[in-house]
Amino acid sequence: MKSTALVRVAVIIFSILGLSLEAPTAKLQTEHTLAGEWLVTSSPINGQTASPKGVSLGFPDRDMVFEQQGDIRIGVVLREDVGHDVRPLGVWRVNGDQFSTTFQLWCPNEDGPCGSIVMRGRFVREDRISGTMTAFFDVFDDSTPTGYDSWTFSFVGNRTAAAASGGSN
Amino acid sequence: MNFLAAYFRNHLARALTVVVVVLAAASTAFSGNELAGRWTLTITFPDGPGSTTTRTQTVTLEVFPRGESLHGRANLTDGAGKRYGATWRQVGKRVSIAYELPCSGDTQCASLILQGRVKGGGIVIKKGSVIVVWDTPNNRNPALFDTSNGTFRGDRIE
Repeated sequence: MKSTALVRVAVIIFSILGLSLEAPTAKLQTEHTLAGEWLVTSSPINGQTASPKGVSLGFPDRDMVFEQQGDIRIGVVLREDVGHDVRPLGVWRVNGDQFSTTFQLWCPNEDGPCGSIVMRGRFVREDRISGTMTAFFDVFDDSTPTGYDSWTFSFVGNRTAAAASGGSN
Repeated sequence: MNFLAAYFRNHLARALTVVVVVLAAASTAFSGNELAGRWTLTITFPDGPGSTTTRTQTVTLEVFPRGESLHGRANLTDGAGKRYGATWRQVGKRVSIAYELPCSGDTQCASLILQGRVKGGGIVIKKGSVIVVWDTPNNRNPALFDTSNGTFRGDRIE
């Protein structure tokens, strides 16, 4: 009778220890980060070649670098196809396997419309992402809920380099 | 006649001096419209997708100079002292500031894009508009996610 009780207590203790030891591992496996370098390819949804108000974007491939320093998460698009100094800036966050990042468009021509990009996606794998992105242009469009001209894309991305040392925490 | 001519010449010279001073002052004020510096932003937007209840978030925005770039970085600090990153661009008086609203127990995650005009010689942004993109998918919305609109005001601290 006593030995049965001891076995039960031992099983309970090992179960608790097992859970507490496994929990951090499980948490580590589900913690994703965008920190690092990604090659992201986008294509307009429904084959639209311009926004409803006729605004267009450039080359579909984007070399994107994401960094994290404490609570600050910054992203940069390396537009070396346009110029070495052309580096649109963005911000990002991750929630489980979902992520969101928002960039400002690079608009050297003050006469033309500018805008911002919101990307929403998920980690297919730790080194692969997919999702949709929406460009919100500074052009009024009363047919959209926001009142701004918008244009949607789908995208896939592959990690080409891990985060620099200390870049992610 | 000579007296009258001298009188008008004298007044004309004074008037021209005043015009030059006013133009110089206006030029100085315009160059002060750059967003860089510290601001208090008061942002009002719905507390969730489709909600008619709004909430007002007051944050401190520390805007770093953008140098030769078209874009710059900024840090937001909310009322609870939580800090997160932002990015900004500016053309003339028109500014756009974007940041990610982090997920927390009492706050729904969202991306916020603020647009406004720096006025008053660079000390205020009045009646700015806000695009809120929530995390909830919505195939009926052209953005593919729920969106809302809000407003904001900015007051320069330094």
